[in-house]
Amino acid sequence: MKIKKRDKATWIVRGVTLLIVIAIAVLMFIIGRGHTIYFDNKPFESAGDKIEAPYKVEVLVGGEKVARLKEGERGMVETMGQSFDMQLVITKEKNGKSSKVKVSLPIPYNMDGVVINLPAMLAGKGPEDYMTEFVPTPSSAELEDEEVVTDETEGLMDFGDE
Amino acid sequence: MKKTSIRDLVTRFSVPLMFVLICAVCAPISGLSPTYLINEIVTRMGRNAFLILSLLIPIMAGMGLNFSMTLGAMAGEIGLILVCDWQIVGIPGMILAMIISVPISALLGLFCGKVLNMAKGREMITSYIISFFINGIYQLVVLYMMGPIIPIKHGSIKLPRGYGIRNTVSLLSMRQKLDNLIPLNIAGIKIPVATFIVVFILCIVIVRFRKTKLGQDMRAVGQDMEVARDAGIDVERTRIISMILSTVFAGIGMIIYLQNMGNIATYSSHSQIGMFCIAALLVGGASVDKASIGNVFLGIILFHTMFIVAPKAGTVITGDSMIGEYFRVFVSYAVITVALIMYETGKRRAKSREGQMLAQQQEVSDED
Amino acid sequence: MSEQTQSITIKERVQNFIEDFGLPRLIITGFLILLLIIAPFVGADLPTQISNIINRFSWNGILVLAMVPMVHSGCGLNFGLPLGIISGLLGATLSIELGFTGPFSFVMAALLATPFALVFGSVYGWLLNKIKGGEMMIATYVGFSSVSLMCMMWLLLPYHSPNMVWGMAGKGLRTTISLEGYYTQALANILQINIGNLSIPTGAILFFAILAFAMWAFLHTKTGTAMTAVGSNPDFARSAGINVDRIRLISVVMSTWLAAIGILVYEQGFGFVQLYMAPFYMALPAVSAILIGGATVNKATITNVIVGTILFQGIVTMTPTVMNNMIHLDMSEVIRIVVSNGMILYALTRKTEGTK
Repeated sequence: MKIKKRDKATWIVRGVTLLIVIAIAVLMFIIGRGHTIYFDNKPFESAGDKIEAPYKVEVLVGGEKVARLKEGERGMVETMGQSFDMQLVITKEKNGKSSKVKVSLPIPYNMDGVVINLPAMLAGKGPEDYMTEFVPTPSSAELEDEEVVTDETEGLMDFGDE
Repeated sequence: MKKTSIRDLVTRFSVPLMFVLICAVCAPISGLSPTYLINEIVTRMGRNAFLILSLLIPIMAGMGLNFSMTLGAMAGEIGLILVCDWQIVGIPGMILAMIISVPISALLGLFCGKVLNMAKGREMITSYIISFFINGIYQLVVLYMMGPIIPIKHGSIKLPRGYGIRNTVSLLSMRQKLDNLIPLNIAGIKIPVATFIVVFILCIVIVRFRKTKLGQDMRAVGQDMEVARDAGIDVERTRIISMILSTVFAGIGMIIYLQNMGNIATYSSHSQIGMFCIAALLVGGASVDKASIGNVFLGIILFHTMFIVAPKAGTVITGDSMIGEYFRVFVSYAVITVALIMYETGKRRAKSREGQMLAQQQEVSDED
Repeated sequence: MSEQTQSITIKERVQNFIEDFGLPRLIITGFLILLLIIAPFVGADLPTQISNIINRFSWNGILVLAMVPMVHSGCGLNFGLPLGIISGLLGATLSIELGFTGPFSFVMAALLATPFALVFGSVYGWLLNKIKGGEMMIATYVGFSSVSLMCMMWLLLPYHSPNMVWGMAGKGLRTTISLEGYYTQALANILQINIGNLSIPTGAILFFAILAFAMWAFLHTKTGTAMTAVGSNPDFARSAGINVDRIRLISVVMSTWLAAIGILVYEQGFGFVQLYMAPFYMALPAVSAILIGGATVNKATITNVIVGTILFQGIVTMTPTVMNNMIHLDMSEVIRIVVSNGMILYALTRKTEGTK
């Protein structure tokens, strides 16, 4: 009887541990999802609607300047997690005054790369308008079939060297 | 009595001493700056310590050097490949890869433990062959099943033909993320504090583990299987657990190792990992049946100093860069060979001494 | 259906050693027969395939035969085969360096390799006598150490023959040396039989047959029976007045010498001398071949060698062609790794006395 009780206790402990581990795994899926964010400082056009791009936009992520975009330029940053915070320093015209804007965006989970059109976003368009998925075109090197080397003597010479 | 203890001491530390000599000779010839050297060794300490520590538990259980720690390394690699494809990055990516690797490692460890229980007395050669065998299975999974059966989305990981993983998988998104989590730089030497903390935790776990009931059982099994069995210890189960623990730790260690390297050589990263981890441990003064945490760290320092210094020194002396490369490979294998020979001769000597004592006792009891 | 009846008739034919065949061997045999049956249907030319198998058998047979003496004397499987291979490589390179050409260079290579094999074999045998019980692991590492030591030596030894050294530096041997003009096909060309696509390297097979017969005869001499006695029960052998260490030493030297000759025969078939890391894992195919043939860690016969080599080489040569033609998916490498190492594992986990 006593043994049975202890058995039960161990099973509960095991079950709880398993649940915790699964919970951690799920959490990692959410907070660890990486995205590449591309910022476009380009004029935005859709259905006769036209938004001009500012002269210059600086993008700061976590206090660090990651991009300085003149009109028509694109910048990028790699990010982790489901929401993306950035600070924009916008200069409308050359030598004009600059204004700061703080932006926090939820990033769709299934997109690896996201293109954000900054002018559209600043003009208050909906995310479905200013956010598009970045589809990478595979480089020629990537398309080329490579010979898989499974030779057992491969790697005999480099033990943990770069 | 004292004489033998000195002799034992000398034989125990002959390998580290030899290495100190090699390093002392080669280091000045190589012309590498001390800062560079120390930096490299600190990096490699962080990179390899966890992996080498995973070897300690089977030694404790008397199963010798675990050549099949490669199994854990493969499990770690599978975890990393999947995480890479799911685009989980940074530390969370590492943690997720570890969570994935653990059940795979545990299963492989269970298999390994069961096989080794059928091959008592030749665990090492068996575990060595197991690593080759499972490498075949690993290739089956990674080269043929990943793609059609295990979904892999990204073209940067998958081969263009639609199945199989590329020769190298880039880990740029988690490269040195753990090492640089807590940045610390003393006099130009970069110290991967967070990695050391993880290694330290494992050290504590191992020290604590030795004192638990299971740890005690394991040591008893390592001392003498028959005596342990008579004492009511489930020898087979204990040995299997020690293999599972070792494999799981090796898997986690491989993930730490690869986050430092920054990419996976899909088909060769794991193949030599067992070899040089074992060589490093032995260089630190460990033997097939006795190894401590101190051996691990001394081993890393000496072995990797040799590894960095020998090719450079070889190039300076002979003018051929390959000589040094071959030299260090030769030394690694020679160290393992010598350690194995010393272990086997020691075992034989102990056996014959035991036999003599037994004979004496019998004579005494006959007289009674 | 036809496959099933086929396997049954084969089963009957090999009835006598099916008892100690064991399941893995049965599966491997079945697999090879299946491959042979499928081959013509998927467009592979059967005579070419069969001559491939016979050819590969003639290359590898002696390397597998080298396993026999050490298994007999209880030293276990000779994972230290690379040591003997290195003796052979020294003989081969020396023969070329000294300017011998044509088939005669094969004879010289064999003669020059012999003293190396005897010396290395004696040291290796002496070492294995010191560590009875742990032979296989130490043999493995003796092999590795010697290969990596020789990697340095191939660069440092004063070879000058322009056919062997790196052209640019004028020193240091190349990783592969062509045997064109030396002893390529030296044995195979003797009495070679060609019938359509089927070609049989009679000379090489005869050479193997001579050595195999010599081995069989040796095992029936006084020393040979003593060797078997030492292997099956060392204590009994010792009490019968046999010098156990000496017998073991002889077996190791024999094995090393056979490995040296074996690699030379392999090279004459393959047409190249492979240096540096090439001998590293050469023990494993030989070990698994003899095990597939029905040997155990402490029992091996000439039949095991012949059957094992045919089965192993059959699978190695057949799977790539058949699989490629059938499903355009070359999994032969994976199959080879799993089958050969699985076989070694199976043998190691069998409960056997001796070796302990």
